[in-house]
Amino acid sequence: MAAEVVAIAATDLATIQASQMGMKAIGAGLAVGLTGIGTGVAEMGIGAAAVGAIAENKDFFGLGLLFTVIPETIVIFGLVVGLLLLF
Amino acid sequence: MLKPKQMSRLLIAASRDQMAPVITELYRHNLFHIEEFVDQGQEGYEGFKIGTPLPGASEKSTDLIKVRAITNAIAVRGDDIDSVKTCQRAELKSKIERELPALERDVEDLTVRRSKLDTKLKEYEQKIVEITPFASVPVDLDLYHGYTRFTAFAGYVPHEITLSVPNEMFFSKGKEKNFLVVIVQTEQRGEVERTLQEAGFQSVTIPDETGSPQSRIDYYSGQIASLTKEIAEINGKLAGVRQKHAEFLAACEEFLKSEVEQTEAPLRFATTKQTFVAEGWVPSDKVEEVSNSLVQATGGKIYVTVLPTDYEHDAVPVEYNNPDFAKPAQMLMDVYSRPKYTEVDPTLMLAIVFPIFFGLILGDVGYGLLLLIMCFGLRKMMKGEDGQMFLKVLRNASIMSIIFGLLFSEFLGFSLPWAPIIFSRHLLIGGGGGHGPAIPALMIMSIWIGILHITLGRVLGMYNHAKQDHGIHRTKAVVANFGWLAVMWGILIAIWSNVAMPYMFNLTHLPVVALGFNVGTFVGGALILIGVICIAWDSVLEVIELPTIISHVLSYARLVAVGLSSVAIAMVVNYMAIGMFIKPQLANLTIVGVFIILVGVIIFLLGHTLNLALGILGGGLHSIRLHYVEFFTKFYKGGGKKYIPFGMKRKFTED
Repeated sequence: MAAEVVAIAATDLATIQASQMGMKAIGAGLAVGLTGIGTGVAEMGIGAAAVGAIAENKDFFGLGLLFTVIPETIVIFGLVVGLLLLF
Repeated sequence: MLKPKQMSRLLIAASRDQMAPVITELYRHNLFHIEEFVDQGQEGYEGFKIGTPLPGASEKSTDLIKVRAITNAIAVRGDDIDSVKTCQRAELKSKIERELPALERDVEDLTVRRSKLDTKLKEYEQKIVEITPFASVPVDLDLYHGYTRFTAFAGYVPHEITLSVPNEMFFSKGKEKNFLVVIVQTEQRGEVERTLQEAGFQSVTIPDETGSPQSRIDYYSGQIASLTKEIAEINGKLAGVRQKHAEFLAACEEFLKSEVEQTEAPLRFATTKQTFVAEGWVPSDKVEEVSNSLVQATGGKIYVTVLPTDYEHDAVPVEYNNPDFAKPAQMLMDVYSRPKYTEVDPTLMLAIVFPIFFGLILGDVGYGLLLLIMCFGLRKMMKGEDGQMFLKVLRNASIMSIIFGLLFSEFLGFSLPWAPIIFSRHLLIGGGGGHGPAIPALMIMSIWIGILHITLGRVLGMYNHAKQDHGIHRTKAVVANFGWLAVMWGILIAIWSNVAMPYMFNLTHLPVVALGFNVGTFVGGALILIGVICIAWDSVLEVIELPTIISHVLSYARLVAVGLSSVAIAMVVNYMAIGMFIKPQLANLTIVGVFIILVGVIIFLLGHTLNLALGILGGGLHSIRLHYVEFFTKFYKGGGKKYIPFGMKRKFTED
């Protein structure tokens, strides 16, 4: 009887651990994916405007690039959170 | 170093008859940045007028236009030609007089003929397009017109139709459209038109030709073939001209351009009836050289002096002053903005830190070597100066990439035969052994880089403001920069006092003073408070920017994050190609297995090519972004005027 209980507890523990790992993986995926979408949405407008400005004046390229990549930080944070979750 | 070249404002005054030798001398030195004279009654320039070009200016510009027309027609670009030998200018001058008109005539003849043939070619092609639909109707083309009592219609209809009036009709079914030709009596024309329109008839013009459609098409095709041949012949002749004269033309262009620039230089000077005055900038260490040679060239009939300068209000042209290894990074600076004359020029820091960041992100011996090979390969192909600079930047970056690859022990995602020397970035992909990546340690390393980089930026910010601003504004700006530093370090000290972290200072064991917090927490809190007050003193609105302190420091985590993602892609590619395709097949080789191994090899090559491209983009863009956004915003304004000396670098000509 006791041995059975222990065995069941052990399987439960394994299941719980596995599902915890899965949850972590889902969390990491969500962190990267959602921040990626966020960055994309943010860069969409800036990028379009920057390309317009560069078409008018090529000197704007550096500054335009700078403005465009500013929201990149968001996805980097997502990536960092994802890495921290997994390792 | 860290400062642009020192410039002096030079004033040159002489009588007008000395203008030509002075201009020649200045042009030869290629050092004098002309401050253009604008006729707007500046102080001290009353009664001066803008000068007139030297004699011969218009002939020379006409010649230059001719040369450019030729070079455009035969696609010669000075940048693409490696100069084998340089021409003597005097020799070139007589050669231009002798040969240029004939050459121009030849090239113009050829291009005019070519464009005529081109027009004809288009015309014939159009004719073929017009006749083609009629080819399906077994009627000669001359039978469609020339009637007084009949009218012919031709065009496309969606489906077959019948007319209520007497007619002669040909209908040919096509794949998409059906072609219809119908001839009716002219008096019933209106009715027919109506019926056709209702049926969705799209009319086409009936070509004005004789003979059977197919024979006409054959005729025009023959014509087109011979025209194409003729055009190819002309192109061949032009290519011959190009091969024979390319260098001469490039030399001509360079020579005439320099002549035109010189003869038109007086347009930038201030002149009176008898004299002229030119102002401009010369690097301070070259003042002596320039003025001595001017005196020599004019036999002493000139007045040259260095004017006192107000470096803050005069728009001083900026020329970089960097050691050779840092020069390529100037290109990256120019993409952002050239430094102002009075501020710190961060090119040197960029030149050192950029490759390091790149190496940290793309630390892989294999990719580094591939990049290095690519740089050397492209060197022959990219001719422009900017392109060369870019390749040098990339070369430095790839060398750092190799060095960090050795430290990280990485080769195309495989590990080298030693354990990582600094931090491990090996992920546990494909069931490999090992400890996995040292993520916390790597993160903290990148945060430290961020803290130090930003601190450096803020200190430079204080220096720049102290140097450029005046009065209360200067104090405020310096104090505000100090405030930002105080808040950042305050937050750090407060964190260290409460949480012990690897590779960071541990202040948790400091004596507890009140509320369960230790001394460090209160010191940190005080620093934050002082910092906020300092920032608010300069501008209250700036306080809402406080969160950027944390986001900017954390932004340096990209050094690790982007790098790890590139390692991950490399390892996944390896696992897919070798672990899933190649290895299982090698164990038991069959004919199908060879094919599967080939697929594995293709995956390997494609995957690593893609990852290398991503790595260049990611490594380059993120490293430069860390400079532009996180570093430069702390101290750098830019917007300096480019130093453009009067003269040119000669490639094809010499005196």
